[in-house]
Amino acid sequence: MGNTRLAIVGLGSITGPQLGRSRRMLTSEAARLAIEDAGLSRQDIDGAVEMRAAPGGGDRSTFVDAFTRMLNLPVNFYFPIGRGGALASLGIAAAYSFLERGMANYVLVAGATDTRSRAEAAKLLGHRGRPHDREKEGYWGSPVGELRAVSHHSWMAARHMATYGTTSRQLGAIAVQIREWACKNPEAQMYGKHITVEDHQASPVIVDPYHLFDVAQVSDGACAFILTTEERARDAKQKPVQVLGQGFGDVTGSLWWEKLNYTHMAVEKARDLAFGQAGISLSDLDAAMLYDCFTAEVLFQLEDYGWCEKGEGGAFAESGAIGPGGSIPVNTGGGLLSAYHFDDCTGFVEAVRQLRGTAGERQLADAATVMFTSHGGELLSPGMCSIHATTVLGTGR
Amino acid sequence: MTGEWTKARPNVDLDNKEFWDGLAEHQLLLWHCGECGAWYWPKAYCNRHDNQPFAAQMGWRPASGRGRVFSANIHRWVFDPHWADDVPYAYVLVELEEGPLISSMLVDLDAAATEAVSLIGRPVEVVYEDHLDVEEGFVLPKFRLVQAEG
Repeated sequence: MGNTRLAIVGLGSITGPQLGRSRRMLTSEAARLAIEDAGLSRQDIDGAVEMRAAPGGGDRSTFVDAFTRMLNLPVNFYFPIGRGGALASLGIAAAYSFLERGMANYVLVAGATDTRSRAEAAKLLGHRGRPHDREKEGYWGSPVGELRAVSHHSWMAARHMATYGTTSRQLGAIAVQIREWACKNPEAQMYGKHITVEDHQASPVIVDPYHLFDVAQVSDGACAFILTTEERARDAKQKPVQVLGQGFGDVTGSLWWEKLNYTHMAVEKARDLAFGQAGISLSDLDAAMLYDCFTAEVLFQLEDYGWCEKGEGGAFAESGAIGPGGSIPVNTGGGLLSAYHFDDCTGFVEAVRQLRGTAGERQLADAATVMFTSHGGELLSPGMCSIHATTVLGTGR
Repeated sequence: MTGEWTKARPNVDLDNKEFWDGLAEHQLLLWHCGECGAWYWPKAYCNRHDNQPFAAQMGWRPASGRGRVFSANIHRWVFDPHWADDVPYAYVLVELEEGPLISSMLVDLDAAATEAVSLIGRPVEVVYEDHLDVEEGFVLPKFRLVQAEG
């Protein structure tokens, strides 16, 4: 492990509907905002990484051309990286190597999502009734019932319920507390829309055992951030946010083979590596941005990180631990569940804001150490061979 | 619905072609290690010991077609109009007797009256759904609950 520590010195974030704007354009604009935020000029950017949510981990992106060309960034290198919802974490890991070896001064990491606009455009065009294409090579299930992420993610909730007695109301407690945070964030898609556990139970069952409020938002958005070394960050315009530690885990390590990947996530190694580098333990975290594509994902992480025992995540959530006033604030911006879904960038942006002190009404006093987690990359269904990443950010030494 | 399939088609590739050929013959084949007897799905190198080049010691062999529901869900929302007539349906993850997990639809079930979690642990058996009369025809493996005796 090197001694170089990275710092985030620029941030650009775009949320809200973006009908009519390409991902390329959104990425370019987020990049422009990040450069402005950093007080730099585009000539300062000599490395770029694009976050692209390649499903599974093997697909090539479906579009070419890049924000580096569109925004005219004079970079020495540019490449895409990403695995499912693990974007910002992998972008940081990739940039680290180039910065540590002095191959760039400022690496700009950027990406965008247009899931909401595409869904709305599809509705406008109408379903033409054409037969579907072949499912992706290496995938399984589309002809026999596998339609959306929830088609296999719901198995995690069901298996945990059958194994540990977790209830839908307990998942509802997670949804309700994260919604409370969203109601303090004007950028959140669910801002102003308070819910109770009864509302969660009354919301339509999408895929039993998941209700509507167990499922993440569908969003447009873009995120860009600029990384440099701790040393160079001392002159930064904004308060630098340091990367204190990172770790990665993968379900193919052992959980998949042991058939535990429907009740556990690949947290252990990711956590130990990240906390070891950061020199922290769980109680040092002031907040946690836990990847929340679905409520059970949050519940699993509460257990696997160690805030409670395996099987006790439901009771822990019901205790009010993760909402405003709780012992471990989780997803203080509203997360994917209630703010917007741009993979791990949602949690990353909120973590940076808490650490910079720019989180508005939801600002935690004295936030100094915040982690964000990443999840993604089902290799096949029912493989659920997912990556998990732990990234600890802080106001540094 | 003779000759028409409006849903996604299977992707038959170099690693699974024999599996799909087996289904066309109403056989559920699993990937089997000739050296130690371990079973896998989908194709993999054997986990328990060193392998011959390209896992040459392994091959596709007929499995019993029986297993238990490892996890389950009930799709109640119509995501796709081509599936409107199927909803509600149970989509289950089955742990086959030989060990591997495989997912498919659970048929012959009143899905509207079923809760997903109640299916977990129940024994199932494979059933074959023929679509050989469509272009690039195929047979899909699905499952049904084994009826309790007596």
